[in-house]
Amino acid sequence: MEFDKVIHEPVRLRIMMILSGVEQADFNFLLTTLSLTRGNLSRHVEKLESAGYLKVKKSFNGKMPNTSYQLTQKGSKALAQYWENLDAVRQLGQP
Amino acid sequence: MNSEQNNKPQDTEKLKEIPKWMRRYAQNRMLTAFVYLTIVGIISMVITVPVMCLIVAFVKGNMILAGVGIVLSVAVMIFLYIFSVTKLKILRWIDQWIYGHEGTASIPALELTKRKKWLEYAVAMVWLILFIGTMDLGMEGYISVKYVQPISALYCVPFMVCSWYFWQRPKMGPILLLSPILYTMHAILIIVGVPIFFTGQLGAAVNMSLPMIGYGFMSYVIGHFYSRYALKKLKGIIHLEGDAVNGV
Repeated sequence: MEFDKVIHEPVRLRIMMILSGVEQADFNFLLTTLSLTRGNLSRHVEKLESAGYLKVKKSFNGKMPNTSYQLTQKGSKALAQYWENLDAVRQLGQP
Repeated sequence: MNSEQNNKPQDTEKLKEIPKWMRRYAQNRMLTAFVYLTIVGIISMVITVPVMCLIVAFVKGNMILAGVGIVLSVAVMIFLYIFSVTKLKILRWIDQWIYGHEGTASIPALELTKRKKWLEYAVAMVWLILFIGTMDLGMEGYISVKYVQPISALYCVPFMVCSWYFWQRPKMGPILLLSPILYTMHAILIIVGVPIFFTGQLGAAVNMSLPMIGYGFMSYVIGHFYSRYALKKLKGIIHLEGDAVNGV
C-alpha cells in the first residue's frame, strides 16, 4: 500500500484538511493559521495545485488582490483515500 | 522526519477533527451580521424621525416642519436604496474590518431557486404582518400586555427555526437556534408567572421587540465567541513542530 506523497507531507495534509471543512479559504487564512512564511505556503499550495487537488480563485477585495483556494473533487477523493490507507496500515500494526 | 514528528498516530487522529472545527469557525463568524443588523436597526430608528416630523406638521399645520419632514424622508429613502443595493459590498467591508487580519474562510449559503427566494419573502411578509398585528392588538388592549410575547412565540419560534434551516444553513451554524430557544423560554417564564414584561402604552411593542432583538443579538455575539474558541482549537490541532514548518 502506498501513500500519496503529495498529501503525506504534514503541511499539505493540514491544508487539505482545512479546505475539506469549508467551501474556500484564502491565502491569508492559511498563512495565519498554519504560521508559515509566504514563500513556504506558496510552494506547498503550488504542489497541491499542480497535483490537481486545489482550485485557485483570484479576485479583488476592494483594491487588494485576494487568492482563495478550494478543494477539487480529485483532491477530496485523494484525501479520503489517504485516510483509508492510513487507517488500514494502522489496523495491520495492531496486535 | 517530518512525518515522524507530525503524523504520529495520536496526531493524525486529531487531524481528522480539523474539518469539524473549521466548519464551526467559518459558520460562527457572526459579528459581521451583528454589525450589519445594528446599522439596519439604527436606520430603522432614523426613519421614524422624518415620519414623526410629517405627522406633527400635518396635525399642527406647520408647513416648514412638513417641508423638513419631506426632505428628510427623501434623504432617508435615497440612503436606504443605496444601502440595499450595496449590501454585499457593505457586508464584505464589515467582514474585512472585523476578521480581515485572520483571513477568510467561508461556507456558502444554499443556492436558492427563484421559487424558494419568493417563498422566503412571502414567509417573511406573513411573519411581519402577524408580528405587527399582535403588537397592535396588544397596544389596543385586545390582548393582555402580559401575553403578547407568549402569543407571538407561537409563530415567531417556528419562523426563526425555519429561516435558519431553509435559508441560513449551512452558512450560519446552529448557534442561531439559541435565539428561538431563549424566546420560547422567555414566553414560558411569563406564562408561569415570572414578571419579565413591561406594562403601559408601549408595553406590547417593547415586550415583543426587546426579546426578539436582544436574543437575536445575543446569539450572534455568542456565535462570535464560539468562533474564537473554534479557531483556538483549530490552531492547537494544526500546530506544526520543528522541521515540518519549513519542509516542502
